[in-house]
Amino acid sequence: MLLVLVRVIKGPTVIDRLVAVNVIGTKSIVLLLFSGIIFGQLDMFVDIALGYGLLNFIVSIAASRYYQHRRSLKQKGQPS
Amino acid sequence: MAELPIWQFDSLFLIVVLLFGITSLAMQNLMSAAIVFGAYSFLMCLIWTAMGAVDVAFTEAAVGAGVSTVFIVATIHNCGVTAKPMNSRIGFKLFAGAIAVGTGAFLLSALPDFPAWGDPQSPVNSTVAPYYIENTIRDAHVPNIVTTVLADYRGFDTLLETAVVFIACIAIYSILRVDSAKSTVDEPDVVTSPPAYDPTDSLIIRQASRIMVPFMQIFALYVIAHGHYSPGGGFQGGVILGASVILLCISFDLKFVLRQWTEKRIMILTALGVLIYASVGVACLFMDGNYLDYGVLDSILPGDKSYARYYGILLVEIGVGVTVMFSMIGIYMILASNGRFRQGL
Repeated sequence: MLLVLVRVIKGPTVIDRLVAVNVIGTKSIVLLLFSGIIFGQLDMFVDIALGYGLLNFIVSIAASRYYQHRRSLKQKGQPS
Repeated sequence: MAELPIWQFDSLFLIVVLLFGITSLAMQNLMSAAIVFGAYSFLMCLIWTAMGAVDVAFTEAAVGAGVSTVFIVATIHNCGVTAKPMNSRIGFKLFAGAIAVGTGAFLLSALPDFPAWGDPQSPVNSTVAPYYIENTIRDAHVPNIVTTVLADYRGFDTLLETAVVFIACIAIYSILRVDSAKSTVDEPDVVTSPPAYDPTDSLIIRQASRIMVPFMQIFALYVIAHGHYSPGGGFQGGVILGASVILLCISFDLKFVLRQWTEKRIMILTALGVLIYASVGVACLFMDGNYLDYGVLDSILPGDKSYARYYGILLVEIGVGVTVMFSMIGIYMILASNGRFRQGL
């Protein structure tokens, strides 16, 4: 997790950061489940972890979609 | 619970969260700032779980980390990605810094007056909380105390919270909505758009989200309906439902969704959620009870008085979920389409 942290803070490009944050999200899901085991109520934490994973997915898709869209707008602008 | 290494956990998280906060403030590129801010919210969610506040953690994961980051991305889509450095005078900067430090010091000065974390003698834990803990099961058959406090004991607060979500949605509409019949400023953008980004549309993402969306919606309905037993409820479930439609907007495109969910329908349904909540209260009035006193509904709903409260909570949660879902969709659409409701991110 600390190595990924370096990538988030230093990360030369935005895409590096995006991937790194996504990895952090995945790791946090595992951490959530561990804390569920510690608290002894795993069923509750599975719900949170599921919601967390879904939203993490949407965030990454949205950010990458933004870049895709911007690139296609650029390509559309340049040839004309 | 006492043997948990809470202290070490918390200081580690504190350092990381501070790092993320400072990094996201210091970045010139707004997009990376938004992404780092999302990670910040995810870690806040972990902190809430370490404190055992699972409902808050769920809300943070759904609202703070998920949907608000998507909103920020949609805003950046219309605003441009780099921040202009502020060229203000050094005196002004010093002044602003002094105000910030002063406010922070003022807030920190109140810190010693706080009761210790988890102190059983603190005002919060010694007044109403014991009543909630002892009587929730007897009053409403709901094991999750948070849900009962939220929707039953403090039903008024939640009603007004739902109304606040609704009002915020209306406010965003009234500020950002551009009447497309009147404005001709960006008209060429609209005309040339239809097949513009078809070549880069990703088949993988489309198919993946086509499979994901129904599961997300089922999960969200489960969160709303199962909020009595597990963390979650109207707000979280509504956000996840909204996020599933937002996922459709992102992976297909906005027009595709607008065909099904027109602006008018979204607004009506947003209002409908508040109406459901308020009319449950009015129904209580008609049954000779106080406003939002679900116990008196026992002649309509199955079961005795306490089960009537159980179902009353469920009805109210559905109202909250509907409002939150459609205001999330509406806010996303208006941000992504720059107020025109035609096309966007």
